[in-house]
Amino acid sequence: MTGNPQHNGMARRKFLQASGAIGVAVAAPTAAAASKPARKKRYGMLIDARRCYGVHACSVACKAEFDVPLGHNRSWVEYIEKGTYPNVTRSFLPRLCNHCEKPACVSVCPTGATWKREEDGIVVIDEDICIGCKYCIQACPYDMRYPDPVTGTAKKCDFCVHRVTQGLEPACVEACPSRARIFGDLNDPESEISKAIATNPVTVLRPEKGTEPNVYYIAADHTDEREPRIPNQYVRVDTNRRLKERR
Amino acid sequence: MAPEIFWGLPVILYLFLAGLGAGALTVSSSALLRGGGGESGIHFDIARYGAFLAPLPVMLGCGLLVFELGSFHVGDWFKWLNLYKTINLSPMSIGTWLLTFFIVTSLAYAYTFLPNPPVLGEKAVRLRRPIAWLNVPLGIGVAVYTGVLLGAMPSRPFWNSPVLALLFLLSSLSTGVALILLARAILTPRAGNPGAADTPQYHASGYILTASDLLLVGIELVIVFLFIMFAYLAVGDVRHAIAVILAGGDLATLFWLGFVVVGLLVPAAVELYYIVPRLLYHREFAPPRGVEIAVSVVVLIGGFMLRYVVVIAGQITGPVGV
Repeated sequence: MTGNPQHNGMARRKFLQASGAIGVAVAAPTAAAASKPARKKRYGMLIDARRCYGVHACSVACKAEFDVPLGHNRSWVEYIEKGTYPNVTRSFLPRLCNHCEKPACVSVCPTGATWKREEDGIVVIDEDICIGCKYCIQACPYDMRYPDPVTGTAKKCDFCVHRVTQGLEPACVEACPSRARIFGDLNDPESEISKAIATNPVTVLRPEKGTEPNVYYIAADHTDEREPRIPNQYVRVDTNRRLKERR
Repeated sequence: MAPEIFWGLPVILYLFLAGLGAGALTVSSSALLRGGGGESGIHFDIARYGAFLAPLPVMLGCGLLVFELGSFHVGDWFKWLNLYKTINLSPMSIGTWLLTFFIVTSLAYAYTFLPNPPVLGEKAVRLRRPIAWLNVPLGIGVAVYTGVLLGAMPSRPFWNSPVLALLFLLSSLSTGVALILLARAILTPRAGNPGAADTPQYHASGYILTASDLLLVGIELVIVFLFIMFAYLAVGDVRHAIAVILAGGDLATLFWLGFVVVGLLVPAAVELYYIVPRLLYHREFAPPRGVEIAVSVVVLIGGFMLRYVVVIAGQITGPVGV
């Protein structure tokens, strides 16, 4: 068993309490088999910015996977240009919901319409509950949420929850021609993503916001127009979405 | 392209109106509880005007909030009732319940001031003071919560300041006082007419209101100074965000002219002009009606400008770096 033993013990206790509470008499061997805890997953993504060359296959696949209204994006690729000829570079920064450990959007939702799933850590929205107050849109430090003009609710990337629960990868991961994205379970030390994070220098976006993102980057260029690394250095960021400026 | 403004005029008006009503009710209830003299005392007039004025702006503001909801835009007229199916630690959830209780108690409070209440009759008066005790914490709660609502998010550095809620509270109380002053100045019969004239009593309660407003405006100025100074001394996000209201910023004119000069300095100067002689030399305090009306109006304009600048500034600035 690879999971945290303490965690398993707690899950087992909870199971026994639950079965006791509903008054079900279970034979011992059955109980042991049934209480074998399904280890909780913690889905995350690792994006290798060195491998990204800005084909926008992820953005297109995401648009195709969901009925995303015109003018909005669930995921996109930003271009970061900097330097003065001939010492210049352009790097690419794919963006998507970070499915944070401490999601700012969840803690401000007044109706409980958005939450972080216990079983796999995906942050989801229930459209039937969401009233469209746009508080979560304000609270997300990554500008990942948008108001859907058709449903009147907040929407965002959900790691393709309908695909990953069926054992498939998210659409953007499958579409990426350069395999810049690795999707997997961060709680499983043997998963490809866990190994890659353990053996590479990785960063997350805006860690100072205290959200503890689950989307990691290798060689991401964190430069911003407003705070260039060298004073007065030329920097241009293009988000390639309707809102051209990063916010 | 300019950043998208997700919270527009309905939310700005709501923040202003909820603060206005909360301030008026807090002032009215405290005047009732602390001021002696019963129904003929100088505080009673303040309490009565505040009681009738307070519920209306808050209910209007809440109605405007519903118009801003995405669900309302697509025809789910009553989806906002989902707010009442839960209570959590979201400032908006707490605010929803606070506002609901506020509207109930403020309406009940106003009811006790009716001359001949159809239900309860004379007994309604006995409920006045217990309800006033509820109104003070609820009114302060509503006024503070409007600032906490905005301040709760690290993603909006302009809003993410501990003194913003305090600034909103002070502005709420100040606009609440101004609303009562304005209504009194317009509705009290003038000298020479039958009934109440420009009696010494009218000016005595007017002095209390004007002096309170001057004090509130003075503290507001200090808080504005602290708000700007500590943001200016910070690094990163907050330092960049505050630039929007400093010289050269997009909202600098509205903030300094619309809020600080028109909303704070001008009324403070006029109020000082009328209060100092009474305070220092015990001269008569009897400002003309027109001055009372003008001062109240500019204080109200200032309160609206504060909400306008803060709500817009928070949304056109954001985190720096990625």
